[in-house]
Amino acid sequence: MATGTYIDNAALFALLSSLADNKQAIARRYAYWSCGAPALEAAVAAAAMTQDELGHARTLYPLLEDFSQSELDLSQVDPVTRTLQYHLSYLDHDFQGWSDFVATNFLLDTALTTFFEAAQNSSYEPLSQRARKVIQEERVHFVHGDGWVRRLARMGKAVRASLVTSLSRLWDETLCWFGPNDEPGMQRLYQEGILDASPDELRSRYLQKIMPTLHNLELTVPVASNATTKTWEPTHELPWSIWNSTSRRLEGKVQ
Amino acid sequence: MSQSATTSDIPTGREALTESHVWQVYARRKYDEPLYEIGNVTADDVELAKVYARSIFDEFSWIEMVIIPRETIVTVIAS
Repeated sequence: MATGTYIDNAALFALLSSLADNKQAIARRYAYWSCGAPALEAAVAAAAMTQDELGHARTLYPLLEDFSQSELDLSQVDPVTRTLQYHLSYLDHDFQGWSDFVATNFLLDTALTTFFEAAQNSSYEPLSQRARKVIQEERVHFVHGDGWVRRLARMGKAVRASLVTSLSRLWDETLCWFGPNDEPGMQRLYQEGILDASPDELRSRYLQKIMPTLHNLELTVPVASNATTKTWEPTHELPWSIWNSTSRRLEGKVQ
Repeated sequence: MSQSATTSDIPTGREALTESHVWQVYARRKYDEPLYEIGNVTADDVELAKVYARSIFDEFSWIEMVIIPRETIVTVIAS
């Protein structure tokens, strides 16, 4: 329900759309594995996480109605009628295996949580309120993703190789989701206090979360530790040439 | 990441992932009641066991929940 006073902020509107679409798409992919996980306990956890992700999406979509950008096409602010897809291309298709579930849980969902953490004290209060609830629920999701990454990696052979494949397929697109550091929209959100970090800082915070696990398991990814700053940094240029800054996803193949 | 495989190679059955550690789950709903056993979960990882216990036994707003590895239970009087 719109409040009557519209907010004019295209950057925030686009980012909220992407957050909501990613949460909705994650829930849809998780749901399939609620009855296909490798263990009964994992299936129940998958069902619970599906509910959480759907809940996150459903608290985000209504925010879009408060933006003047929604007036262009009101059908795009309702998940039932929305046709735009601002979720990662990785989520366009069904997961090929449990390792895709684990990779999404560990890499993508953690990236989205990193964003919510940067919005805990947002100058846009509806986002800060939702961020705190999301972060609380995501703590359990991270433990699940972390536990399963360790478990699959330590099993070795085909299971570990399958995990590596899933992580590799999601890696670049997840790091790109934060946007290039000079992206005007993200810089505006940072300067207006809607987020407390720039895209590069968000990426750095994100790598600080996931790299201890990947490093300990000797799962090689294209990042290196900077001894001076004690941070992890990508070692290769991200595929910005095929990244769409509106839909925040990779489109096409690297030339 | 130089290793490669199709994700369909991954085992899908419980046997393939051989979870073998059973954790007894205890919880209570009120401060004036003791912890009592509400069930068990199977997981080889304590952190995963905690996630499973929380998601499976979510029918009440527990004020406390603990898990205990079954193998640490000492029988005093055998049945």
